[in-house]
Amino acid sequence: MNALLIAQNTFREVVRDRVLAGIVIGGIVLLAFTKVAAPLAMGEDLRLTVDLGLSSISWLGLLVILTVGAALVNKEIERRTIFNLLSRPLPRPLYLVGKWLGLTAALAAVAALLGGALGLLLAVTGHASYAMAITQAVYLAGLELAVITSLAVMFSALSTPVLSALYTLGFFLAGQWCDDLRQVATRLPSGSREAVETIANLLPNLSLFNMRALASGGDPTSALHLLLATGYAALYCGCVLALAAAAFESRDFR
Amino acid sequence: MNAQSPSHQPLTAASGIRPDPYRSAAPAQLACREAAVRIVGLTKTYMNPWTLKRTCGLDALDLEVHRGEVFGYLGPNGAGKTTTMKILAGLLKRTSGRAYLLGTSIDDVRSRTSLGFLPEQPYFYDSLTGLEYLEFVARLSGMQAQPASRAARHWLGKVGLGQRERLVLRKYSKGMLQRLGLAAAMVHEPELLILDEPMSGLDPFGRRDVRDLILEQREQGTTVLFSSHILPDVEALCDRVAILLGGRLERVATVGELVEGAAPTIEVSVAGFPLVEVPGAFAGTLRRREAGGTSAFIVEDPARLQEVLGWLLSHGVTVTSVTPQRPSLEQLFLAAAESSAFQAQGVRRQG
Repeated sequence: MNALLIAQNTFREVVRDRVLAGIVIGGIVLLAFTKVAAPLAMGEDLRLTVDLGLSSISWLGLLVILTVGAALVNKEIERRTIFNLLSRPLPRPLYLVGKWLGLTAALAAVAALLGGALGLLLAVTGHASYAMAITQAVYLAGLELAVITSLAVMFSALSTPVLSALYTLGFFLAGQWCDDLRQVATRLPSGSREAVETIANLLPNLSLFNMRALASGGDPTSALHLLLATGYAALYCGCVLALAAAAFESRDFR
Repeated sequence: MNAQSPSHQPLTAASGIRPDPYRSAAPAQLACREAAVRIVGLTKTYMNPWTLKRTCGLDALDLEVHRGEVFGYLGPNGAGKTTTMKILAGLLKRTSGRAYLLGTSIDDVRSRTSLGFLPEQPYFYDSLTGLEYLEFVARLSGMQAQPASRAARHWLGKVGLGQRERLVLRKYSKGMLQRLGLAAAMVHEPELLILDEPMSGLDPFGRRDVRDLILEQREQGTTVLFSSHILPDVEALCDRVAILLGGRLERVATVGELVEGAAPTIEVSVAGFPLVEVPGAFAGTLRRREAGGTSAFIVEDPARLQEVLGWLLSHGVTVTSVTPQRPSLEQLFLAAAESSAFQAQGVRRQG
């Protein structure tokens, strides 16, 4: 219950932040730009619109995480607003879960808004059949953002906003190339191979959440993929938040 | 708190939101019950992560605050007052020792269910309104949505912010934020209040309101542990005080005990500015004070009053009044601090 209260408060804080409004407006402008740039796409304007629309959810979501999420906990510690929360019957792990849940909910709202705008644009231009693929792709993008948010919350609880943003960005980029890293590992000698494979396993496998190529053709993905991605995101977020909670538990707030 | 503010209202009667069997009892009876705060050998050391040097914030503190009493926690900056309060509130982890709030160990998060804590210079979320903030913290302390909303409105009105409930906190003045902090500490009607410098940054009207609020809480049986540098307020409010110096507890006593136990002095006021010099026979017993256009002699040893009076009269000095002087809490506190510093210096020399 207390985690939900923290989540609700975090959601309210993030939604009232002008950064978020600016980013949503930027996403919608980007979507409109794809229609202007259509003549340059040489017949691939529909693919361009879908690809850019879905990419904008991931990249703009990442921007929100780096600007808001990377300072989410640290800002509360520096500004001492955390004193009024942790002096109540609120276990520290639930505080972190609440912060993660609140930002994830705000990002889900952004994803739904931008996804809805993309779906509307496609429906207006006579491509309503893309609705299922777009919905699935937006759902997976939301899961991807939830995973990145859990990392940002962990780093934010243990580090400064700048370092936290850098670590989060590093994990995001490395997570995009997780499969490539595994490919590289197969060509390495024993010892190095295991080490690289372990790193690849620890990094978030973000390619699991990317179905932009499928959605660009209007093709939906399988229920099994959605189920696996959901399970993986839940497990990864759970592990990261458990690690963060363990480190946060012994912190002093002076 | 700003008395010039149009929203300023004097603090009034209690709300009685949380029924509590202890509340109807008189403070004297409450003091006999289990301690509201029990601290046993509480120690906190800080380590610099770069130099690995350890500094002691709190050194084996033993302390009990009885239920229903107002307890003043005194000490100069760096004495360990805030450290103690933050450990009790769950913000700092202790190095060793134990502590209990209302019988529950501070390791158990439920020990903070009936705790109201006001940190020194409280900070808030800029984008929330006063009402939203109080509803939020009331619910965090376990209240349901409807009662939390009622209590939030009640307390906003009680601290004089009733007309500003929809104003976002970034537009609040410093005094208004301090009032909101007090309301946040009390919105869930806690049994124990820990207030770190509650009068800090307040004007005289604000200080008076906080004093009234603390007295009102005592009337209801709430235990109040508070730190302050404003010693006259402590003297006026507290049943007992603790003096903390360098992380160590120097003394716990009632204000009366502290004052009674101290050596009294006698002030002998005289007319004009007599041209007499204190003789060597009165060295350490008598000193002269001239301030504000008056002249007086302070007799440090009351047993020698007759001798002093005889000497003054024999030199033709007109005595206008003889007044026994009781040292203020401030004087006692400063004397304790100086004595502790002197002893510490002695230990260093011996070492």
